[in-house]
Amino acid sequence: MRRRALEIGMATAGAAFLVAVPWLIPALIDNFWVSVITEILIWSLFASSVNLLFGYVGLLSFGQALYFGFGMYGVALGIDHFGLSFWPAFGLGIVSAMAMALVSGVFAVRLSWHYFAIITVVFSLIFYFLAVSMKPLTGGDDGINFTLPPVVNFGGKVFSLTDPTLQYFFVLAVVSLCLFLMHRIINSPLGKGFLAIRDNDLRASLIGLNVYALRLIAFVMAGFLAGVSGALFAFFGRYASATYMFYQVSGEAVVWTIVGGAGTLFGPLVGTALFIVIREIVSSHWEHHSLIVGLLAILVVIFAPKGIVGLFNGWLSRLDERDAGQPAPRRLTLQAEP
Amino acid sequence: MRDTVLLLAMNGLIWGLIIALIALGLSVIFGLLDIINIAHGDFFMVGTVLAWFSLSVTGNFWIGFLVAPVIGFVLGAIIQRIVIQPIHGAAALSIVATFGLSLILQEIVRITFGATPRRMLAPIQGTIPLFGIDYEIYRLFAAAVALAALGGFFLFLQHTKLGIWMRAVRHDRDTAVAMGIPAKRVYVLTFGIGFALAAFGGAVAAPITTVDFRGGVDVLPFCFMAVIIGGLGNLPGTVAAAVLLSFLEGLIQSVADPTIARISSLVLMSAVLLLRPQGLFKGFVK
Amino acid sequence: MSEAVTSEPVLRTENLTKRFGGLVAVDDLSIAIAAGRVHAIIGPNGAGKTTFFNLVTGLLSPDSGRIFFRGRDITGYRPHVISRLGIKRTLQVKSVFPDLSVADNLWITRQARNRYLHAFRPAKADKETGLRVEETLEKIGLADLAARPAGTLSYGDVAMLEIGMAIISEPSLLLLDEPTCGMSPAETGRAVAKIREMARTIDLIIIEHDMDVVFGIADDITVLAQGAILASGGPAAIAEDERVREAYLGRPEDEDFMEEALNA
Repeated sequence: MRRRALEIGMATAGAAFLVAVPWLIPALIDNFWVSVITEILIWSLFASSVNLLFGYVGLLSFGQALYFGFGMYGVALGIDHFGLSFWPAFGLGIVSAMAMALVSGVFAVRLSWHYFAIITVVFSLIFYFLAVSMKPLTGGDDGINFTLPPVVNFGGKVFSLTDPTLQYFFVLAVVSLCLFLMHRIINSPLGKGFLAIRDNDLRASLIGLNVYALRLIAFVMAGFLAGVSGALFAFFGRYASATYMFYQVSGEAVVWTIVGGAGTLFGPLVGTALFIVIREIVSSHWEHHSLIVGLLAILVVIFAPKGIVGLFNGWLSRLDERDAGQPAPRRLTLQAEP
Repeated sequence: MRDTVLLLAMNGLIWGLIIALIALGLSVIFGLLDIINIAHGDFFMVGTVLAWFSLSVTGNFWIGFLVAPVIGFVLGAIIQRIVIQPIHGAAALSIVATFGLSLILQEIVRITFGATPRRMLAPIQGTIPLFGIDYEIYRLFAAAVALAALGGFFLFLQHTKLGIWMRAVRHDRDTAVAMGIPAKRVYVLTFGIGFALAAFGGAVAAPITTVDFRGGVDVLPFCFMAVIIGGLGNLPGTVAAAVLLSFLEGLIQSVADPTIARISSLVLMSAVLLLRPQGLFKGFVK
Repeated sequence: MSEAVTSEPVLRTENLTKRFGGLVAVDDLSIAIAAGRVHAIIGPNGAGKTTFFNLVTGLLSPDSGRIFFRGRDITGYRPHVISRLGIKRTLQVKSVFPDLSVADNLWITRQARNRYLHAFRPAKADKETGLRVEETLEKIGLADLAARPAGTLSYGDVAMLEIGMAIISEPSLLLLDEPTCGMSPAETGRAVAKIREMARTIDLIIIEHDMDVVFGIADDITVLAQGAILASGGPAAIAEDERVREAYLGRPEDEDFMEEALNA
């Protein structure tokens, strides 16, 4: 029972912290860090899309930046080009990301995992180059700036999104909702189906699971998550650029996920937070923070492949077993969150 | 117009030969160790940087041709031993490890070499008339060197003990081990060879490209294209694909954006992955 | 034995052939497996037994020939479709879901029968499946290991789990591929008991090497060699068949073993 208490305690503390950020952080440190935390939340959602595919279905996608890009450009072009207001633009970003995920997933999930990883990069590169070549439309690598419609109509009340506190809460709400959805899916029959495919796709097909269909569903869901994060990114920075569709962006998200803990709900958040905080702190003194990112990635992969949250869960299990008087089983591979 | 086409086509052909070297390195790493090596483009980049340093330190360009592959080999062997082996080459984890490696290599170069791209002067200046255009002599020379290196590598695979071991382990690891071949050592040496090939390619290519810490980023996708289209494990296929793709890109570049050229290669690569994953070329699968 | 002995064989193949390069793994195989009886397929290594199972379950597609399940042509169907029609199997190398708990292994096997997997309802809400899982855990004696990840189980327990998964999926036809492979005598005894129980309600085809097991539970035996039927018939007929002895056993020591097995 200690484990349950610990988990609930931490969840409550975490939630309380996150809600208090707009007042707590400026008091403790600096206003600037509120926007950093907002950024962390957005990118952690992107990492969650990698996590859904890799941690729960066993598919390593190195090209989620493509769907991030569709979400981002959906919003940017929706506002800049089509004159859409807030919610329609948001919708456009999400729907186009999911549509792209469906189209590319139909082809990609047929492949075995090596080729799957490669083709996800290839798809994202194709669109990266397309975006770069359509510079008048997309701004290429330089990107486009656009002005955000300053108001959001929500249930009758009108909010101005230029206020950083409101921005923060909007992002927090969206990210929390998405994580909640992810939590429900993971613990549903569909989620167990995902895990089965991850563990042993041959066995899964033999018990009657349509491996292809389930993978495709997961791929579209991940596209949704990436698209939402891209849309939020566009709203947050009022900026969209092709650079964010490059494979290095996808790769960083993979690192964040694995360091944080793949196959756990909060792993991506922890990993993203860690790396972005390091980046912010280190880059003001030393410009070579990528070196730390690279080193950390390698160290984690060698010494703690389950990631931070994975390690923590393992420690919790041992606590549990000790309470129940049983030795914990030795495992060497990833474990899904119960 | 015709001259531009000819020039770009020849550039493409020659660049393709150099890329073939690098792609071969990727192919042996991918084929033997099952690792998708994100850092492979950076191995090439390190080669260009090593060539630059050799030149600036000794004043002799040709030293670079020796320094780059040797240091590359040593680095590759060390990396395999301390990074790849501990994770038992576990699939997805090794991708992350090579991604981390890529970042580290780029930053180390940025620290030691600097962030500004530099150009290296070719050791052989001048042009000679060829098919009606004046073509840089060094490029022709580079092509010859690349060809020689490719030939040498294939001879190595066929006739040396290590080469035979590599092919055996690639073909059937368990039988190879049962026959007494030290698989672990082969893996270490293979990674070293992969790095060495890429670095040598870098040294050869240095005067005709820029020496830049980001120089590997462009090369990486191209190498993967060559390996996939040529066929995984099909080394001659990889060479053919590299040359062909580069040549085609060169041709397309003469009439369209370089980006369009790149996109078409990528689309071709997707088609191959989806329709004929064993590659376009038949060949002896090693 | 199941009650209804229909004239339609539960499984029938017509000229089934599968080649791997130059090797003919299954050679023009036409076999009919009667319903309501336990059918064992035996034969030396490389005889094509597992390939036959792979063809029937859709993991491989035949080069020529047809497969009929209760009169329905299932040739070329994909594995999960065949599974949903009611054909389930175990694999030669024990294969479960290592990171899922024992209970979840059973749980997902049961759920896989449904048309759709619900995405937003919590898994625990499905009472019926939960009950079945508990029942099956009792039946296979793994109730106290329910929460353990399946990958941490001993080999014998994994084999029992596989049998549990076979039971909970309520197959119409169950293919067991060397179910007692690698088991201790005690474990083999348990497994055989479970198999006999299952045989009361499920049609079974078993690939086995353990002659004790084969002659203990099989009603019909087919001997495969080099992808084709060498002999088929009841246990007594097979035990006495010269060709079988030659091809399969071929050594004097085994003759005594055969005598023992006959008298088992």
